[in-house]
Amino acid sequence: MNPDDMIARLSGPLSLRRRIANVVALLGGLGGALFVGLLWATEPALPGRTHLAFGALVALGLAWAGYGAWALSRRTPLFALDRVIAAWLAVAATGLLTAGTATVAVAKGTWTGMAGVTVAATLTVLAVAVLLRARADRAALLRRKRELGG
Amino acid sequence: MTDELLVVRCRLGEREAFAELVRAWHDPVWNYVRRMLGPSRADDVAQEVWVAVVRGLPRLKEPGRFAPWLFTIARRAVADRLREEYARPEIPLEEERASADPADPVDALVESADLLAGLAGLPVREREVLVLFYLQDLSLEDCAQVCAVPVGTVKSRLSRARRMLREQLTEEGYR
Repeated sequence: MNPDDMIARLSGPLSLRRRIANVVALLGGLGGALFVGLLWATEPALPGRTHLAFGALVALGLAWAGYGAWALSRRTPLFALDRVIAAWLAVAATGLLTAGTATVAVAKGTWTGMAGVTVAATLTVLAVAVLLRARADRAALLRRKRELGG
Repeated sequence: MTDELLVVRCRLGEREAFAELVRAWHDPVWNYVRRMLGPSRADDVAQEVWVAVVRGLPRLKEPGRFAPWLFTIARRAVADRLREEYARPEIPLEEERASADPADPVDALVESADLLAGLAGLPVREREVLVLFYLQDLSLEDCAQVCAVPVGTVKSRLSRARRMLREQLTEEGYR
């Protein structure tokens, strides 16, 4: 086997598209599960089959989030640029989630709705912190690259 | 281009840098695995090593120490394949502790193809330090880091490996 064969074999873990897809699975699954969960919790007097449907949707979202988390921690690493992209996606997703939960909270006017907004807003703050950290780490690496003559 | 610069570029997410890193280190890794396990398993285990490198690179603390880190991963992959053989208890031979002596005639022989073939007859631990020290040109300190043992243990293993290799070559008619 020569080096180019090896590089070809590594195309999976080195695929930016695959890494970002895992980030999307994590964010989409988590955001979807939280939003559907909030709708479920704030909707009074639902029939049994609707409870089942909400439960299934939440489980589906959590399953995607679990897969994304597993893939990112075990299968496909995030490099500096990926982390910045992933953090921006997280900021966008949590921002949307906050807007969505705020809409539900205003419409329903319940404590459960307010709790949902609080959780979403906390996740947004966390995502912004992750973004700042990712940008700082990438800037440090770029600085080191210049120092080494790259 | 230095390994550190390549590693920094890889950590930034530059795919071409990773290709350059593989081109620079593929042969040393593949040869190490081949000498430890034989040619039939070299391709698969070398691929396992590179997959682990891709996954571990974002967490590599010291990009300047890439070589010992790489061979630590390679060693772990080889050890996984040799776990049963690795269960052999090591007998400490304090009296054999000695620094690698460049004047040792075995050192000169170590480069020959005949001797490389003879490596396969050595026990795993002795073969491992011989390959890392003589064939991969790692320092004693780097060998110790890769093997997760003290430098003194690396020296004793090297000494024992040279003696075993000398005995083996003598039996096979090399003088």
